[in-house]
Parts: sequence; C-alpha cells; structure tokens
Amino acid sequence: MKKIIFVLVACLALISCGQKEQGITLRFATWDSGDALKIQQDIAEEFMKENPSIKIQVEAYGSGFDQKLVASFGAKNAPDVMYMWDFPTYSSQLENLDSYIKESTEVDLNDYYGGLLNYVKVDNNTYGVPSGFTTHVVFYNKDMFDAAGVKYPSKNWTWDELTEKAAKLSNPNDRVYGIGLLGKPDPYDFEQFLWSNATSYISPDGKTLKGYLNSNESVEVFREMRKLVDNKSGILVGGKQQQSGSDIFKASKIAMYENGIWPLNGYKKAGINVGVAILPSFNGNSPKSVMSVSAISMWKGSENKEEAWKFIEFYNSEKAAKLRVADLPVRKSLVKSFGIEENVELKPFYEMLSLADSTPSFLLNSNWKEVQRNLSPAIEEAMLGLRDPQIIMDEVVEKSERLLKE
Amino acid sequence: MDISLDIKKRKRKKISIFKIKRDTLVPYLFIMPWILGFFFFTLGPLLFSLVISFFDWPIIGNPTFIGLANYKEMFFEDPQFWKSLGITAKFAGIFVPLNISVALILALLLNNNVKGSGIFKTLFYMPSVISGVALAMIWGWVYSDEYGILNYFLSTIGIQGPNWLGDPNWATFAMVFASVWGQGTMMLIFLAGLKNIPKELYEAADIDGANVVSKFMYITLPMLSPTILFNVITSIIGAFQQLSLALLLTGGGPVGSTYFYAMYVYDNAFKYFKMGYSAANAWFMFLIILSLTLLVFKSSSMWVFYESEATIKKKKG
Repeated sequence: MKKIIFVLVACLALISCGQKEQGITLRFATWDSGDALKIQQDIAEEFMKENPSIKIQVEAYGSGFDQKLVASFGAKNAPDVMYMWDFPTYSSQLENLDSYIKESTEVDLNDYYGGLLNYVKVDNNTYGVPSGFTTHVVFYNKDMFDAAGVKYPSKNWTWDELTEKAAKLSNPNDRVYGIGLLGKPDPYDFEQFLWSNATSYISPDGKTLKGYLNSNESVEVFREMRKLVDNKSGILVGGKQQQSGSDIFKASKIAMYENGIWPLNGYKKAGINVGVAILPSFNGNSPKSVMSVSAISMWKGSENKEEAWKFIEFYNSEKAAKLRVADLPVRKSLVKSFGIEENVELKPFYEMLSLADSTPSFLLNSNWKEVQRNLSPAIEEAMLGLRDPQIIMDEVVEKSERLLKE
Repeated sequence: MDISLDIKKRKRKKISIFKIKRDTLVPYLFIMPWILGFFFFTLGPLLFSLVISFFDWPIIGNPTFIGLANYKEMFFEDPQFWKSLGITAKFAGIFVPLNISVALILALLLNNNVKGSGIFKTLFYMPSVISGVALAMIWGWVYSDEYGILNYFLSTIGIQGPNWLGDPNWATFAMVFASVWGQGTMMLIFLAGLKNIPKELYEAADIDGANVVSKFMYITLPMLSPTILFNVITSIIGAFQQLSLALLLTGGGPVGSTYFYAMYVYDNAFKYFKMGYSAANAWFMFLIILSLTLLVFKSSSMWVFYESEATIKKKKG
C-alpha cells in the first residue's frame, strides 16, 4: 500500500513539474480553420520571434467557437485573447479597451473605418479592435458573360438589371443558371437585401418586427428572389449535404454568386475569370451590404493583460495585416499603402463598406438569436416558395413578439 | 487454560471479522472505478440537472431560482416545444414499427441455413459499426438531389426522385430510412432469439400439417415475444433520442421539418445557453420515455409469452 502511495505521489510530482514552463503563455482562441487558421499560426509565430518570453498558444475552436467560448467563460478559464464578433452577448466578459487604446502608440482608432467600429462598441465602450472584415459583393464569371453576349454589371446596377442578365445567362437544359441563391441563407447575411430595399427585420429601437419584417418592401425582396428561381434564371444552392454555391460557381454552372471575400482566391485558383461587382440596388435605394467583422478582444479575467494587449497591438500592425490575406485590412493607412484602392477586385468591398450604415438586428435586441430560430426556417420556406412570403412573415412576426419583450 | 482459550478464540474472532470485512470490501474496490464514475459522471449530473431545471441558468452570469417558470414557458408559451415534440413523435411512430419489422424479416431470412448466410449476416450488421457521423455523410451523398445514387436508380426506372433532404414532406422519411439502415444490432438479437426456439415445436407442427404462416404466427411470434418487447423498448428510446442524424444530415431543416426534440434541447443548451430551460426540456423527455416504457411493459402481459411461466402454469394445472 505504501509503495502504491509513493508511486502515486511521484507521478503527481512529475506531472506538476511538467506543467511548469518558463515565461508566459497566452491563449489565443480563433474560429478559423484550414488555410485561415494557418495565417493565425503564422502571425503568432511572428509575434513570438519578436517577444521570445511570451508563448502564444493558438486554440482553434472552429465551428464550435461560441459553445467553447461560453463554456470557458462559465468555467472562468477563458483564453486571454480571442476572436470576437458578438459583442452584445459577451461584453460582460471582455476587458474594456478604451484606456489601453488611449495610451497606445500603435492603435489609433481614427485610422479605422467608422462603420467597423460600431460593431465593437457596447454602450460606447470599446471591447475589441477590428482586425479584418468583409462586405458582400456579387462575383460574376466574365467568360460566361462573354459567351452569352451579356454586358458586365454596370457601376450602379439595379435588381432589374440583375434579373434581366440572369435570364439571358441561364440555360436550364444544360443545368446552367444565371445566378445561385442560397436556399437556406444565414438570416444575419440576408438582412442586407432588406436594407437595400430601405427596410429591415426589426424597428430601429429593437422593439418590434411589425411593419418591418412583414412590410411590403421585405415581402417584395422575397418575391423577387423567388421569381428568379421560378423563371429558371436562378437556382437554389447550398444547405446541409448539398453542393455549395462556390463549388457550382467554380464549375461554371452559375454565372453570378453573392458572397463575402472568402472564396475569391479559390475562384482564381480554379481558373475562373472572375469579376467583382457591388450589390444591386432595389427601387433606387442605395445598396447595403452586411458586414462580417473579425475583431480581437481580451478576457476580463486574464492574468496577463499587459502581454495580451501587446499581442493585440501586434495583431493590428502592418506586419500582421500583410499575413492576413483571408479577409480585408481595416486600417485606412494600410488600404492605401497596400494599393487596394486601385485593385478592381477589392475596391467593390470598400465601396460597400462606405455605403454601410445599417445596424444589424442582433445589436438592436439582446434576444435576437431566439427570434432567428423562427426567422431562419421562414426565410428558407420563402426561398423554397412553399407559401406566400407575406403569410410566412406575418406568422414569424406574431410568433416572435413574445421574445422581443423579454 | 480457560482464559488462554478464551483469548485464542477472541483472536480468531478478530481475525475473522477483519477477514470478512476485507472479503466484502475487495469486490467493492474492484467495481469502484465504475461506481465512482457512475456517481460523479452519471447520477450526480442527472440529479443536478433536475435542480438546474428550476433555475434561470445562463452560463455567463448568475443563476436565479425561478421555480416552475421553465416548465410553464415550455408548456404554454413556446410553440417550438410542441412542434418538435410532434416531429419526434411522428418519427418514432414510423421508425419503431419499420425498424422492428425490417430487423425481424432480415433475422428470419438469416435463420434459414443457406449457403452464404454468414456473409449476409456480416453485411447486414456492418452499418451498425459505422459511427453516426460517417452514416450521415454516406446518406448525404445517397440522398443528394442532383448527384445522389438513390435518385439515379429511381431515374433508371423512370421515376423522378424527390429532393430527399430539401423537401419538407420527404425529409422525415429520409431520416427514417437512414436510421433503419443501422438496425444490425436489433437483427442479431432477433436472430439469437430465433435460434433459441426449440426445433421440436416446429417438428410437431410439421406432423400436424401446419403451413409456414401458421408456424410463424403460432410458434415463432409467441416464442420471440420477449425479444420483441426488448427491441420495442430500446427502439422507442433510440427514436426519441435521435440527435446526431438530425444535426448532421439536415441540421433540423428543411423549414424545420426535422427539428427533432433532442435537437431542440441541444440548441436551447448549447446555442442559446439556456441551461435551466433545456434541463426542463430534457426531464420532460425523460418522463415521456419513462411512461411509454411503462406502458409497453404493462401491456406486455397481454402479448408477451414466457416459456418459464408456461411450464409453471402447466405444473399447477
């Protein structure tokens, strides 16, 4: 018995010795995977070269990011630095960065696009520094346009123009379609089309859906989308276990596809002669795009805040921004020095950014996620054309009012 | 002398007490890893979840006691609760009978001692070895609208197959078929039950001139009824807890048509982080399964035949 105890004690001693390491280890959590994750690791590598006493441990949470993050907050064992997007939900766990930014010589918020800063603020406190973003654009296959003798999208094109082009480009017998539309779009992304028709899901004060989600303007958007599919100038793509729109675009089976910047490099690699256009406008309203902002934040409970801030500063430096090729730089000075303003492929993303002034619903009502549980299948139903969008959206409004009041 | 004897006796007694203690203790020590695991990782969390269900319990922030409010919300305010319950009941209603019939038919076929039945036994069982994730991926390909093998086969006989996973009217059936595919374990249990039926019964029936149908109805089914009871119960439990396939194959879609109860509970907990509410959901599911199981057990006296009981009755008679 004594021997066993001795062995156990020895084992424990060894284990605890093994955990002792020299210097400080910062935990950095990201939702990236694959190539984009490699970028995060490269940035961390670069930082460690400059700061040998700090070790960065990159933790890839992938698609389970929110679950893991919430669990780690709950267990009071969260990563020191993390990617962040949903500030209203997590701000209570994040360090207020205002004082850090004030003293910093590296981070100057005036150098950041104003539209992006709205996303990282809660009650006028800054809880994160934007480090990358994308707006949505329409990718089009130039070769398919040429072959069909259709003009490329004009600078200020309209939804009618898109409909017309899509009809000319499609050839249902060969399973070629003018445009690919998501059959089950993420409600967060889809709201941009409502904005582009001068409406939104929810009232600006975040209190009601009535007269917004079920307004004539909203219903018109759903009808227009469905019309494309009914006319066979468009096809529904994506969804679980279905081929993604990007893959079909790469196979030259759809001529236009709306998305963020993510697949652009893949299209080029696949040899597609790809063009980039801004989103079309509805009824003369200015087109609006949703924004996907990746910001970087610090955990309130971190024991190494000084080092964590050092990493955040580095993360927003020119050096790191150069490595971040999966999305777009957020600092005006870098956009200039990287020559992005002259880049015809990237310029439309910034045009959409300059037009963006809408506030997404999740920032307007703290219970939005639950409303989305009703909304998501409803949008899908409208896209599938199972019932009239007016009836579907009226139903969602009625079902969801209870959730908005809580 | 008397005294010394007494002492000896006492000593012996002491030793024996110690020995008894040790003898009884050792087996407990052997099962201790399991017992501890059960207490700490099964029973403990199970009871704790009941406590949680009376709280508003977000992961971030502090839990507050709200009594029966979670249950009230579930029954009277949340339409999704009833919808998901209905979807799951529909799934179970189709899945349980189908699963049992398919497993039973395959077992009956395998019970014939023909050449190659071993190979088929392996083939039929193989899907049960595959993990739920792989199963979902395989069926994702099979059901694919444009490129799926199922619709290809249907097209060769001139049928335009539906969009299995994209059409709300078909998705539940698609899930049932994919689930039934993994029936192998049930088939093996049936097969074992079939092998246990004494041959004499069939021989006697043959002499009496019984045909295949009546042999099945009057010998096989009654003799197999305890096995059927077991399979019905495990099948019901499995159907109500179906999560992985919904999560991976359809994600609850299309249009929420496969948003099973288990997925609803999962989302409440890990997507909306309402631990208390989701614990209440889970306990209600537990009560449903418990009462269904009890119902099946109660009814079993009417249709389950136990050989041992029969012989006792005979002796008494």
